[in-house]
Amino acid sequence: MLTYLFKRILIFIPTLIVISLVAFAMRLASPGDPINIPNSDKPVFRNDDLWKKRAYEKKAEELNLDKPAFYFNFTSAAYPDTLYKILRKDERTNIKKLIGQYGNWNDIHKFQQQIDVLKDKLFDLPDEINQTTKNKIRNTLSKTKISYKDKRITSFLNEVNNKINQDSILNQYLGADTKVLLAAYQDVKKQATPSALWVPAFRWYGFDNQYHHWFTSFLSGDFGTSFQDGREVTSKIKSALSWTLLLNFISILLAYLISIPIGVIAASKRDSIFDKTSTLITFLLFSLPSFWIATILVVFFTTPEYGNWTNIFPSIGLGKNYGVQSGWANFWDVAAHLILPVFCLTYAALAFISRQVRGGMLDVLQKDFIRTAKAKGVDDKKVIWKHAFRNSLFPIITLFAAVFPATLAGSVVIEIIFNIPGMGRLAFESILAEDWPIVFSVLMLAAILTIIGNLVADMLYAVADPRVTFTAEN
Amino acid sequence: MQTDSKNVAGSLPDQGDSYWYAIKKQFRNSRASKWSLRVLIVLIFIALFADFIANEKPLYCKIDGVTSFPVLKDYLVKMNLAKWPTPLLNIDWRNADYDRVILAPIPYSATTFDLENAGYKSPFDQQQVKSKRYWHWMGTDNLGRDTLAGMIAGTRTAMLVGVIAMSIATIIGMFLGTIAGYFGDDKFKISRIKILLNIVAFFFAIFFAFIARQYILVEGNTFLELMKSMVIFMIVFVLFNLLAYVLEFIPFLKKEIPVPVDILVMRLIEVMNSIPGLLFLLALLAIIKYPSILYVMLFIGLLRWTGIARFVRAELLRIKNLNYIEATEAFGFDSFRIIVKHAIPNAITPVLITIAFGIASAILLEAFLSFLGIGSAPEEVTWGKMLSQARTNFSAWWLAIFPGIAIFVTVTVFNLIGEGLTNALSR
Repeated sequence: MLTYLFKRILIFIPTLIVISLVAFAMRLASPGDPINIPNSDKPVFRNDDLWKKRAYEKKAEELNLDKPAFYFNFTSAAYPDTLYKILRKDERTNIKKLIGQYGNWNDIHKFQQQIDVLKDKLFDLPDEINQTTKNKIRNTLSKTKISYKDKRITSFLNEVNNKINQDSILNQYLGADTKVLLAAYQDVKKQATPSALWVPAFRWYGFDNQYHHWFTSFLSGDFGTSFQDGREVTSKIKSALSWTLLLNFISILLAYLISIPIGVIAASKRDSIFDKTSTLITFLLFSLPSFWIATILVVFFTTPEYGNWTNIFPSIGLGKNYGVQSGWANFWDVAAHLILPVFCLTYAALAFISRQVRGGMLDVLQKDFIRTAKAKGVDDKKVIWKHAFRNSLFPIITLFAAVFPATLAGSVVIEIIFNIPGMGRLAFESILAEDWPIVFSVLMLAAILTIIGNLVADMLYAVADPRVTFTAEN
Repeated sequence: MQTDSKNVAGSLPDQGDSYWYAIKKQFRNSRASKWSLRVLIVLIFIALFADFIANEKPLYCKIDGVTSFPVLKDYLVKMNLAKWPTPLLNIDWRNADYDRVILAPIPYSATTFDLENAGYKSPFDQQQVKSKRYWHWMGTDNLGRDTLAGMIAGTRTAMLVGVIAMSIATIIGMFLGTIAGYFGDDKFKISRIKILLNIVAFFFAIFFAFIARQYILVEGNTFLELMKSMVIFMIVFVLFNLLAYVLEFIPFLKKEIPVPVDILVMRLIEVMNSIPGLLFLLALLAIIKYPSILYVMLFIGLLRWTGIARFVRAELLRIKNLNYIEATEAFGFDSFRIIVKHAIPNAITPVLITIAFGIASAILLEAFLSFLGIGSAPEEVTWGKMLSQARTNFSAWWLAIFPGIAIFVTVTVFNLIGEGLTNALSR
């Protein structure tokens, strides 16, 4: 048993690593920039520009975004190995696209640098040039820096060139650099080496990378801080997890308590009216989408929209008084708000479990030892509960492995619809906000909970049926 | 399907009946299964002919003496095989002057904005329509879109999701389940050099097919470029295997070692099963720039193959020890032929059960995702999306009820079919 447990825990590790890798890949692929500091578009002095840049760098350092993404990189030799040092995400993705087209990093780099040079020179212009003109040129240059399509870049460059040629003072100060810029872009196109893209390159970055920092700090219990509000992810998840576990615990408990008698009685009185109706009802419940039922309950029974008599339950959420009042008042308030969510979660699990219990009981009731017990004159109740039920416990327990993750997933739905601040809603909102530290942690925790659910079910097998051992294979 | 090989594996109720015939007979014994099959046929009919049932374009019309069949023509136009004649190009189909016309049973498309009836008109409200023919029998939504037309279009989406997602899952699950069950841990032997070179080939294939072409893949015609990438991917593998073939002249490299396929597949299944699928789907779909229902189908398929793989594996473990498979092996048939021609046909029936339940859960999952507003493009009509409108306007009971019923009925039908198949097979 212990060796089995140990083996299972060993499988834990690759599973967690796979999930963390996929989650991390998703973060890299997500379009948004976690650092929400745009370049200043109307700086008057050089310092305005620098200040923004520093702020961005500082934030990037804080979030470990100034490090290479992963231990290694397997890509074209055309991409420089220090690409991660370009901190701004929009600029970096843009450079990648330029390299993907032309394959000549050196020329592209020169071109991009020249844009910066020109932008910088705008600060040195005499006062005769008004600020609006400067800002316009700066804006166009900034847009050039984050475009990769030839058409767009050409039109932006022409715009800048025209503006500078029209004004003699501008021409005097910036004319030469503009020419260099135009030439640099022509170089990018003329000296394109797309063949460089077909040369593979493998680069090793070592352990000082984003993934490593993220994963190791997750394992040590430090989940980082939320991108949105800077709060500790741990504290956010703690309060969310308690709601989710509360919901799931009550629902699964209720589901088992209700469905076991239903299933057992239905099986023991096979083909009776009770059996037929309960089978039909549980089948229908099984197919009823819980998010539909939840929506209907919310639409019809939490609002006075259809008359006061249907407004039975409090509105979704936990109510405005939650946390303000104390003790029992708070308890009853929460209980009232949880009735509908618990109902929705319970009926879905209940339908599934009672059908399985019925099936398991039917199997057992056909066995010889039941017939023997009956022939011996053991009374029916005892046969069913002591002999048959105990032997059908086995499949009921294994169900836990299926019910637990399913309810966990189901509570995502229910939490969102009923506005309960649990893990599901937290995850959903964080996903929409691209708050990756939270998404990452929630995904990992959900996976761990699922694995533990499976493991607990496996352990319970052995408790329920002494014949089960984990020593031999299969 | 060949019936001869079936007879060996299946137990026959009547001598002379084929295996499939027996199953069909058992399946039809249950009234619920029979009815679910009938409802399924209706749903398939609606899905196939959705454009003819609910469309703002008439089925047939005559304008200024010119006869046309706009619904049919629309298909040709969409396939670039024809063009609308100028008078019909920007015509307002609902208010055109027809000499003669046959409207679709529901004279609205799912995306028609009936602005006169915008703002959640109930079926019992005063509706601004020309005649009863144009009545919105299931009400409208905020933008005046007909709920009934949306239900019809949604049928097509739901069926497509179910079928395509499960096709993907079936292909993956069948493949992995078969190789795991048939080869086990010691039967699949390949030479050292082949193992090595195929691993190397994998990285190179990924590189040349996707990494080196990432710009063109994203910016070009994505589908066409993806096909080209696939070709490159395969060419790399072929080349490396040719190289391996040559190198096999060296005895050390030629030595065959078994690949533990079964262990690998089972571990993969275990990993997949502990992935919190719903959250993963949500996160994956949320980062896609241009959402489309196609991604939803693809991802559901990629997540939901484990059940099928397990079933097929278990079946093959059973089948591979049967006499007739041993006989084919004794004949010296190659593994591929044995698997495809003799083993899989016998393993397929239990898989049908998983597929039926799988379709139900795929439809349910897609409905939920679009209910949350994730995964589908704005112009794609789904039941879930319609249902979600009831959340923003509690007074629109028709949007809470009708799409929900549609989801419920479809899911129930597939569950009943799965149930019926289970019973038919267990007898």
